Amino acid sequence: MREDDELKIQRIARELREPVRTSASLDARIMRAVRELPRHAQASLWARLTTPRRVTIMPLSWGVLAASLAMFALLGAAHVSQDVHRAAAPIAKALFPKSDKAQPAQRVQFVLVAPDAKKVAVVGDFNGWDASHADFQAKHRGGGVWSVTAPVPVGHHRYSFVIDDSVWVADPIAPRAADTDFGVPNSAIVVQQSQE
Amino acid sequence: MEGSSDAVFVARVLRGDVEAFRVLVERYRDRYARYAVHMLGNREDAEEALQDAFTRAYRSLARCEDPERFGAWLFRILVNRCRTIGARRGRRAKTFVVDEGALLDAAIDHPAESSAWREEIERALQQLRPEQREAFLLKYVEEMGYDEMSQLTGVGVSALKMRVMRACERLRELLSEVHNA
Repeated sequence: MREDDELKIQRIARELREPVRTSASLDARIMRAVRELPRHAQASLWARLTTPRRVTIMPLSWGVLAASLAMFALLGAAHVSQDVHRAAAPIAKALFPKSDKAQPAQRVQFVLVAPDAKKVAVVGDFNGWDASHADFQAKHRGGGVWSVTAPVPVGHHRYSFVIDDSVWVADPIAPRAADTDFGVPNSAIVVQQSQE
Repeated sequence: MEGSSDAVFVARVLRGDVEAFRVLVERYRDRYARYAVHMLGNREDAEEALQDAFTRAYRSLARCEDPERFGAWLFRILVNRCRTIGARRGRRAKTFVVDEGALLDAAIDHPAESSAWREEIERALQQLRPEQREAFLLKYVEEMGYDEMSQLTGVGVSALKMRVMRACERLRELLSEVHNA
């Protein structure tokens, strides 16, 4: 770039570095939105006890709770221990379904057309977003087509391709993941349990 | 306390002190509003992007790996929100409108001639392709290095250099047209 060209760009940049004002109400709007969100889980017991919060009571929930209490009362003290133990498993299973990540993995083929790439890897929540993971290094199959088939646990996942260890690209033929807050857009994949 | 590091306020928010988040809002609001306004070309969209970025940051605060660098983490979220809102706006209308309120503010601080120059720059900036505008703003206005820009955007350094170069060429061309008209 010529020196006077660079000076012109610097002059433009200087103008753009001037502060920009926001509406006087912006802080209040942000804090109102933030207060509507759930409080962070690490809140101290004292803070949780002393801070007013909005509580929504659903009649159906109370009905279920009341029915559960009535059931325990009818079972009688002698049987409670044994029955609670027996009942706990299905209740726990219903309330805390086993994580998809614990499901067996299925082999998934990832394909990307990247004619200028020297290296292509797949990163995702299934491999800790590790571009050096040995199982997820794509091979060049000719004509700019790169592919790799690797085990991915059953469930919903987000992933991307990494070209030449530097450029992250979403899979052009897959749906985009909704959460793009923390970097480049990712792709979404649902790996289903084998029907066999 | 207001002068404490970001990590102090992040820790307070994570302990349940929602109001501590206000300090982080006040600390970064104006600094990042500049990027959002220049990127999106109007104050309404810029404030929407800022509000989105702050609320998303609050919601995911436990995922902020380095609370000392909360600002950098927030900026990454903002850059992505600007991309999303910019793309949505691009679909909504291909034309752009320079924000009158922002120009009015500029006029308060600057003499008329300077304000007109600023308006010309804003118009030229909005005529750049979004990825060129983003790269130019990060490089020349936010004064980031290419490695840092690459980490932030996920785009390779050589591609970023090309975008900045094209943006500079186009800006010079557009602003010369104005001066020669």
